[in-house]
Amino acid sequence: MRIRVGVPQALMYYQYGPVLERFLTGLGAEVVLSGETSRQTLDCGSVLDEMCLPSKVCFGHVCYLQDKVDYLFLPRIISVSQGQYTCPKIIGMSDVLKHNVGKLPPLIDIHVNMRQKSWQLYQAIVSVGRLFGQGMAASLCAWVRAWQYRVRTQPQVLTLDGRPRVAVVGHPYILYDRQVSLDVLGRLDKLGIQVLTPEMVRPGEVNKAAATLEKRLFWSGGHTTAGAALALMLGNQPLNGIIFVTCFACGPDAFVGEIIRQQAQRLDIPCMQLSLDEHTAEAGVVTRLEAFTDMIKRRRRL
Amino acid sequence: MIVTFPHMGTLSIVLKSLFSQLGCQVLVPPPMTRHTMELGTQFSPETVCLPFKMTLGNFMEALEQGADTIVTCGGCGPCRLGYYAAVQQKILAERGYRFTMIAIEPNLIHVYKQLKYFAPQKSWREIYHAFRLAGAKMNLLDDIQRELAVIRPREMKSGSAERVWRQTVTAVDLAESCQSVQAIRAELLEKLQAIELAQGVSPLRVAVVGEIYVMLEPFINQNLEQCLAGMGVETSKTMLLSDYVRGHLLRRRSYVEMFKQLSAMAAPYLGHYVGGHGLKSIAYTILKKQQDYDGIIQVYPFTCMPEVIAKNILPKVSQDVDMPVLTLAYDEQTGEAGIRTRLEAFVDLLRYRSKPAAARV
Repeated sequence: MRIRVGVPQALMYYQYGPVLERFLTGLGAEVVLSGETSRQTLDCGSVLDEMCLPSKVCFGHVCYLQDKVDYLFLPRIISVSQGQYTCPKIIGMSDVLKHNVGKLPPLIDIHVNMRQKSWQLYQAIVSVGRLFGQGMAASLCAWVRAWQYRVRTQPQVLTLDGRPRVAVVGHPYILYDRQVSLDVLGRLDKLGIQVLTPEMVRPGEVNKAAATLEKRLFWSGGHTTAGAALALMLGNQPLNGIIFVTCFACGPDAFVGEIIRQQAQRLDIPCMQLSLDEHTAEAGVVTRLEAFTDMIKRRRRL
Repeated sequence: MIVTFPHMGTLSIVLKSLFSQLGCQVLVPPPMTRHTMELGTQFSPETVCLPFKMTLGNFMEALEQGADTIVTCGGCGPCRLGYYAAVQQKILAERGYRFTMIAIEPNLIHVYKQLKYFAPQKSWREIYHAFRLAGAKMNLLDDIQRELAVIRPREMKSGSAERVWRQTVTAVDLAESCQSVQAIRAELLEKLQAIELAQGVSPLRVAVVGEIYVMLEPFINQNLEQCLAGMGVETSKTMLLSDYVRGHLLRRRSYVEMFKQLSAMAAPYLGHYVGGHGLKSIAYTILKKQQDYDGIIQVYPFTCMPEVIAKNILPKVSQDVDMPVLTLAYDEQTGEAGIRTRLEAFVDLLRYRSKPAAARV
């Protein structure tokens, strides 16, 4: 029987999930996903005090998986690029889970720290492979194959289609988790808005735009969000508005939001900040989105 | 050039001495008040941590009084402190202030360049002396603070320790050479000796762990130390300014060794550095149990990322090593009575625990 490895669909899953899934399958494991976030996930996660919503969501997913798998795949992702960190909460997540979830299956919490040396990633890959009885070559091979999938599935840049264009920026684990974001993306689409997300901006452009900042942001999540927002605002194609979606108590976002607000004000682009947590009511968000789109449509007509 | 810098406990005395010895004109920001807090909060992002808001308030008040150069710290994460300067600069510029902001980044070449900026005409000898004097003042202030922490809960006449502390601050601030700092030290130690202590009392001992700004700034922590002393509790702060400078800036070997030991101690609970002092909060909880302390108080600004991680792990540590932990998060809305009530309840609990089992009712 193959080893069942649980992968919580939270936090870094939204960036690297499909790659990790393919990688683990390539190593011969059976991957068990925790499924989409539900109300129950949130209720389960609210045990954590003062943590941001995405960490609570992660907690909920782990609770769901705890008795269904042999191993939990929770690598400690400290840094994914040179000179940057992910964020303290992501770094400490596996420890918080370990000491708060009752009975956990053994964790695979390999350190991934590319802050100083990017080849550390390959060390991590090889050590994960070893757990599944794979040699170095086989593990690296599995990784390369998984990574190629990611390269093939990059989202395309949207062309103008006449609808008002609004950039919706935020962490992928907020934007693409429909329970957390209350489906902001889908709702805007229904309101007749062409939605642009950070994933549609090429990494090169993100870095170029982020380089205009006073100081490089040392959180990779914040760096991508701020860089993408700036690139979209400063880009050649007109932008009618920008919505910054964040979760209450997100540390880096307190600054990223301020950076975006200042830039939007300078360029005279309407900007709205949506701050979400587990108490956020759907009706409140809907009203704000409707008001924002109404305002944008009216501005376009003027 | 009129130099200013943020407040944090006794930091302003040390920096004032340093920059005036380097030949700069110094403007110490007005003492922190409710107004500073309101100013800072008004123009800061909503969910940013309290030190950001308070230091922004300090800068605004100082700039209004005529300062034109702000010295503050940089950093490289993952705690938010490292990015304060970049955001604060933009906010202040947006409000129309004209100033230069110098963020000292933790790397030697950068520090060297800044030194040349602040003291272009000074020789290395003079620069060395400026640093030595500032260092001597910092050490004296911290040594006296440590002594006072022991005396406070034991003094016969309440307020005598506080009086010596006020004298210390004034005297150290006025000192102009290392010799005079030494002289003041002798004089103060004599005064401390003269304080009459109650005999036969053994106060509860509590260690304060957590974030340095809240720990060191009495305006923010609402005089935590004095408040506890009033309840007959001896407090020991796990980090004073001199510890921070020696450990994080000078990287003294003894401190680096100690950090390694602390990391090893915290490893079963927190396996990696999460920025700020989160790791140390956990390690000190274990260490202070071994040193026979009665309880731990963790203090931090609301939404502080590293400490929130520690906070969510501490209940488990507390259970495992049998050490009561009280967590206090401070922000601009923290009320005095709320904190006091929680401290009283915590002290009651510690007192109950310290009784022999037979005496417990």
